[in-house]
Amino acid sequence: MKRGRLKIFTFFSQAQKRGQFNFVWIFAILAGGAILVLAIYGAMQTGDVMKLESNTEAGKSISILTDPLQAGFAEGSFGTISFRDNTRINNFCYDGGVGKNDISVSTRSNIGTEWNSPGEPSSIYNKYIFSEDRLEGSDYYVFSKSFDFPYKVADLIFLMSESYCFLNAPNEVEDEIVGLGIKNIEVGECEDIGAERVCFGGGSDCDVIVYGSCSSNCESIYDSGKVVKGSEEMSYVGSLMYGAIFSSEDIYNCNVERLMFRTSKVAKVFSEKVDLMGARGCDSNLKGDLVSWSGMTGNSSSDGLASLRSAGNSLDRKNSREICGVW
Amino acid sequence: MWSVVVEKRGQMKIMQMAFMIIGVFFFFVLVGLFFLNFMIGDVQSGAYELQKRQAISSLEMIAGMNELSFDSRESMMLDEDKLMVMSGGLGDGYEDFWPVASLRVYKVYPTFSEEKKCPGIDCNYYDIYDSGQVDVVTYSSFVSICKRVKEFGHIYDKCEIGKIVAGVKIRGSEAVNED
Repeated sequence: MKRGRLKIFTFFSQAQKRGQFNFVWIFAILAGGAILVLAIYGAMQTGDVMKLESNTEAGKSISILTDPLQAGFAEGSFGTISFRDNTRINNFCYDGGVGKNDISVSTRSNIGTEWNSPGEPSSIYNKYIFSEDRLEGSDYYVFSKSFDFPYKVADLIFLMSESYCFLNAPNEVEDEIVGLGIKNIEVGECEDIGAERVCFGGGSDCDVIVYGSCSSNCESIYDSGKVVKGSEEMSYVGSLMYGAIFSSEDIYNCNVERLMFRTSKVAKVFSEKVDLMGARGCDSNLKGDLVSWSGMTGNSSSDGLASLRSAGNSLDRKNSREICGVW
Repeated sequence: MWSVVVEKRGQMKIMQMAFMIIGVFFFFVLVGLFFLNFMIGDVQSGAYELQKRQAISSLEMIAGMNELSFDSRESMMLDEDKLMVMSGGLGDGYEDFWPVASLRVYKVYPTFSEEKKCPGIDCNYYDIYDSGQVDVVTYSSFVSICKRVKEFGHIYDKCEIGKIVAGVKIRGSEAVNED
């Protein structure tokens, strides 16, 4: 009887253990699998977030790094921004009022798609960054020149990743490029076959052609004119020539509109300054001209630059004749 | 009777397993929260560091802007007339333009015990821009504040020492001033 009970117990016990064994294994596999899947998913998400953070930080860094590279009170400046790996910089320009340049950065990916999604764009309101819509490379060249119209309006920043070859460039352009030691621009005979060919005054086998059209009050025929890039045609004055050469038509026109708005705002500041100076005995007759200049430039675009230039020159001459110059 | 005992032991094992899984789940949740907190802290400190760098590098750039500068060929030289204009109504519309949370220009000499906003008698600072943010850390640099005057038939540039102070938004109550 006792033996019989023992047999029954052993049978139940083995069956139960087998059941427990199966249950434990199934549970362990399910739970382990779930944890593993969650861990992999979490790691991938964390990786994506970290890449986004890194790209966002890089975008913001570009805004900061370009601060000391601005021309400031110098004629121009040049610097290089280098990344460890190939990087894409996207430039979106928004006009309307002060406007802004949104700069976002995406790095190369080793898994899945070739490029990671770009980081959060860094909005830059107080700079005018001229570049192609999307740049690619590990070394970026930053060239800056001030834009005077007729007073200093802002520093223009030209962001490039490619090499350029300037053919038949006028002496002042050549001196500027050579003087600033701009590494990615060759003047005259070019060794880099893959460089973008920029021809001054026309030529054959050119990617970009610069036509100068300045006829009065000019230091050079290229003080104003137009830049032709395939089907794109951009009018320029002064240092905007470089902006037209190095940037896409959309970015160029958008930044010119932003600059014209800024020109108008500065004119308003000057017109108020005239009143304050007058109260101290430093009278000026420029008030009316400045108000008019502010109205002319406020909503202007790149098409009106050439006609505005002559009005600006006239304003500058009047200012230089003043005993207490406004600028 | 035996089967009941074995069944109860099996239920016990299932409960043990369930508790174990809940424990493991909570453990990973806690680890995740800790990691998330660490990452957010890292992002915040990174953002603050970038803002700080931007404020420092912006000081010279802001002083060179034609809305404030006295002479575009001179560095760190502000125009008192323009400061007056910009701290008045014409500064409106520039809100997004400044890369900092606040911007003030102080007259350093003569020294003062009480801040008085310009324009006004015996005023000592111009409030160019204030985003209204409370917790800010400030960075400053000495500048010249100049204006063109005509005295006794002579025209000259009269300058005094000033200080440009830019504020950066920071977390919590870490507000400090750094020169």
